[in-house]
Amino acid sequence: MAQQRMPLWAAEADIEEDIHDVDLSLAIGNYGQGAYDEAQIQPTQITEATLMAVQQHMAQQAAFSQIPDAVKNFIIHFHRAVLDNNLAEITVAYESGWNKFTEKFYAKTEWPEAEVIAPLVNDDPIFLILYRELYYRHVYSRLSPNIDDRFHSYENSCELFNYLLNSDGPVKLELPEQWLWDIIDEFIYQYQSFCAWRSKVKSKTDDELGLLAEGGGVWSSYSVLNVLYSLIQKSKVNEYITAQQAGKSPEEIAEIVGEYGVFPLYRMLGYFSIIGLLRVHVLLGDFTLALKVMENVELNQKSPFTRVTACHVSTYYYVSFCYMMLRRYPDAIRTIVTILNFIMRMRQYHTRSYQYDQINKTGDRMYAMFAMCNALSPSRLDDNIANIAKERYADAYTKMARGGDDALPAFEELFIHACPKFITANPPPYDDPQALAVLLSPSSPSPNTPAPSVQQDSSQRHLALFLADVSASAQVPTLRSFLKLYTSLGTSKLANFLDTDEEEMIQEMMVMKQASRSVSRVVGGEGTHSGTGGSKGLLDGETISTSDLNFVIDGNMVHIAESTIGRRYAGWFIKNTERAQRIFDDLRNMPLPQAKLTASGATPAPTGAHGGDGGRQQQDGRRGGQRVAWGGVKVGA
Amino acid sequence: MASAWISPPERPELIEALVSGVDRYNPSNVGILEDYLYHQIRSQEYDCLANLAILKLYQFNPDLYNPDVVINILIKSLSASPLPDFNLCMSLLEERPINATLDEPDPLPTLLPVLRHLHNLLFRCRFPAFWATYKSEQLENLRDNYTVECAGFEDSIRDVAIRAVKAAFTRISPQRLGSYLDLQGAELDAYVQRLGWAADASTSMITIPPNPDNQIEATVVQENIKLPQVTKIISFAATKA
Repeated sequence: MAQQRMPLWAAEADIEEDIHDVDLSLAIGNYGQGAYDEAQIQPTQITEATLMAVQQHMAQQAAFSQIPDAVKNFIIHFHRAVLDNNLAEITVAYESGWNKFTEKFYAKTEWPEAEVIAPLVNDDPIFLILYRELYYRHVYSRLSPNIDDRFHSYENSCELFNYLLNSDGPVKLELPEQWLWDIIDEFIYQYQSFCAWRSKVKSKTDDELGLLAEGGGVWSSYSVLNVLYSLIQKSKVNEYITAQQAGKSPEEIAEIVGEYGVFPLYRMLGYFSIIGLLRVHVLLGDFTLALKVMENVELNQKSPFTRVTACHVSTYYYVSFCYMMLRRYPDAIRTIVTILNFIMRMRQYHTRSYQYDQINKTGDRMYAMFAMCNALSPSRLDDNIANIAKERYADAYTKMARGGDDALPAFEELFIHACPKFITANPPPYDDPQALAVLLSPSSPSPNTPAPSVQQDSSQRHLALFLADVSASAQVPTLRSFLKLYTSLGTSKLANFLDTDEEEMIQEMMVMKQASRSVSRVVGGEGTHSGTGGSKGLLDGETISTSDLNFVIDGNMVHIAESTIGRRYAGWFIKNTERAQRIFDDLRNMPLPQAKLTASGATPAPTGAHGGDGGRQQQDGRRGGQRVAWGGVKVGA
Repeated sequence: MASAWISPPERPELIEALVSGVDRYNPSNVGILEDYLYHQIRSQEYDCLANLAILKLYQFNPDLYNPDVVINILIKSLSASPLPDFNLCMSLLEERPINATLDEPDPLPTLLPVLRHLHNLLFRCRFPAFWATYKSEQLENLRDNYTVECAGFEDSIRDVAIRAVKAAFTRISPQRLGSYLDLQGAELDAYVQRLGWAADASTSMITIPPNPDNQIEATVVQENIKLPQVTKIISFAATKA
C-alpha cells in the first residue's frame, strides 16, 4: 500500500517534511511550539518557558470557566458518543447539537479552543482533532479566518488524515456519512479559500508575508491531491465500485477491497475523495482530468454518493460544468436537468437542513448554466426547468437565445455567476522578495518583459476562453431564423438578406453546422440501469446532431429540412396517474373521521408510516414508487 | 470517436500508465511525456490527454516550464478543431510570474496571441483567412521555428477544413474548396482525388460522398414510451385489481 502511494509522496519532498512537522507539533501539544523549541535549544530560558506555560495554563482555566454548562455537557456527551461509535448519537450531536449551540452562544465568536475543552474529554487526541475540524469550519463559515487559523486548520486536517491513513491498520472510528463528506468538502473549501487569499498580494501585512514566504508547503496543491489520492488508494474504492458493478458477492468484494475498504468510514471517504478530486481539478481548470477521475463512478440515483444530498448536488454541478467547458452542451443540459429536478422534489423535505441555502445557491448557478447551454444548443429536454430558468434569467435568456452582439454581455454575466471560484495552483513569489516587489509595483515595468498581468483572476481567463467559443456562434440564431423560412434558397440571396459577403456567409454556415453537432454520452439513454455499457466513463461519447434544423449546401443552393417533435403526452399522463394513485392510497388509509375507536392506536401508525413512504417516493421516483404500492397493499389487507 | 481521443490506439503502454495513474504528478516523468510529444510531432500522431499531462506538470512545477513544448502542444491542438483541445490546453496555462531564469527571452508571450487568433479563425471556419494569416510575413517566426518541424502540419489543418466541408456540402466549387485548402490547380486535383471525391467534367463541381452529416431529411420525432416509465402504474393496477 505504502509503495503504491510512494511516487506521489516522493513527488515533492517538502510534503513529507510538512507532515512530520505536524506530527511533531501534535506530540508537543499545539500552538505553543515556538516557545517549546526555544526552550530546547537554549536551556537558560527554561524558567521563562515554564512561566509562559503556567500563564497559558491559567489563561486556559479562565477561558474554561467561561464556557456555559450546557456547552460543557454537550461536549462531554459528544465525546462519549464518539468513543462509543454510536452513530445515531453522533449524528444528533453533529447535525443539530453543534448548530444549536453555535446559534445560541457562538454566532459571532469562536468556540472555545481545543486546549481549553481538553480536560472535558480526557485530552482525547482524536476527539480534539475532530473538535478542531468543527472549530475551524465554524471560523471559516461564520467569522473571517486569519493567517494563523488558515495554517492551523491545515495542520489539523493533516493530523486527521495522518491518523486515518498512517495508524497501525484501519482505525475503529465511525462517523456519519454527512460528516465524512463535510470533512472532505471543507478540506477542499479551505484549500480554495487559502489559494484565493494567497493570490491577493497587496493586502498582506509584513507578518503574513513572512509566514507565507516560509510556509510554502501549506495548502499546496500537491499536498491536497496527495490526501485525496491516498484516501482513494487506501480504501480501494475504485476496485470496490468495479467489483460491485461486476456483480461480485459481498465476500469477494471484502476480499478485493482489503482491510481498509471493508470499513464504511474508509469506503465513504474514498468515494468522497473521488468527488473531491473532481472538484479540485475543475478549480484548477483541468476539465478532462476532472471527468477522468470519475470514470468508475456511475452517475445515477443509486450511487452511494447520492445518500448525502450536498455531495449529490455538488457532483452534478461540477460534472455539468466540465461538460460545458468541453463544449458538450447536451451532456451538460442532461446532467443539470437531472439534478435540478431532484432538488425540486426534495425541496419540501430539506428546507430546515443546514445545507439548504448552499444547495439552493448551487441550484441557482445551475439554472444559469442551463440557460447558457440551452442558448448554445437549444433542446426541449425539460420544459419545466426551461421555464424556471427563463423566469430567473429572463433578460439574459432572451438576449442569449437571440444571439448577436447583445448576447455576449449576457453570457458573461451568467458565466461569472455560475462558475466555481477558480484558483491558481501557484502562489505569488512570496519567497522571492525581488520578484514580489516587481509584482507589487507594476508602475515600473522592466524594458524587455511585457507588462505581466499580475495574478489575474483565474475566472477571467476561463471566461475569456468561454466567450471566444460563444462569440464564434453568435450569428447562428440569426442564420437559423432565416433558414427556418425556406426549404431551399440560393446562397447569394441569403447573403443579400443578411447583408453580408457571400463567402463569409457560407463559412458562417459551416460554423452553424459545426454548432449543431456535439459529442454526447447518451447512447441507450440513462435510466436504463444496465451498468454494462456505462463503464467507459464520463468522457466517452459519440457525435450526435443536436439541432432540429438541418441543411446542406449543394454548390450555390442551400437545402433545408426541419425535424419536428410530436407533442408529448406520456409524461403528463404518467405524472397525473401517479398523483391520483397517491391520493387514492392516502384516502384509503385515512381513519374515518367519526370513528373514535379505542383501537385507534393501531390505525394512525400505518398512516404515519405511509406518509413517510410517500416522502421517500417523492425523492426517488421508481424504487420508492413501488414501495408505496406494496405499502398500500399491506395496510389494506 | 471520443474513445480514440481518450486513448489513441498508438499510445504506448508506458504513456497510458502515466496518463491514467498517479505517476502523472511526478515531475521526473516530464521528460518521458515531452519525448512523446516530439514523437507525435515527427510522426503525425496526436495525443491530447498526454499533452495535457505535461501542462499539468508545468502548472504544479513552474520551474519545469519549457516554452517550446507549450507552443508545440498548442500547435498540435490546433488541428483538433472543432473539438475543444486548444481551449483545454489554454485553461491549464496560468499566468506565470516573470521568469528570469530562462536564458533566452520567453517566446510564448508573443506567440500566444498569434496562436489564439489562428485557433479562432479555424474554429470559425474562416479557412481562407487562416491561410492568409498563417502565410503572412508576421508569422514567419512561427513557421520557421515551429510548424516547419511539425510533420504534416498544413495537411492536418486541411483535415479541419475537410471535416467542415464534408458536413455542410454535397457539392462544392473547386475555387471555394481550393481557398479552404490553400491549394490550386494540379495540387488541388491530386488532393481531391486522394480524398476519393469526384469532380464533374462538365460543371467542374466537386461532389462530396454522402455521410451522416450531409444527408438531410425532414422527420417527425414521435414520443417513445419505455416500459420502466409505466411500471409503477401497471403494478398499482395489478395489485388493486
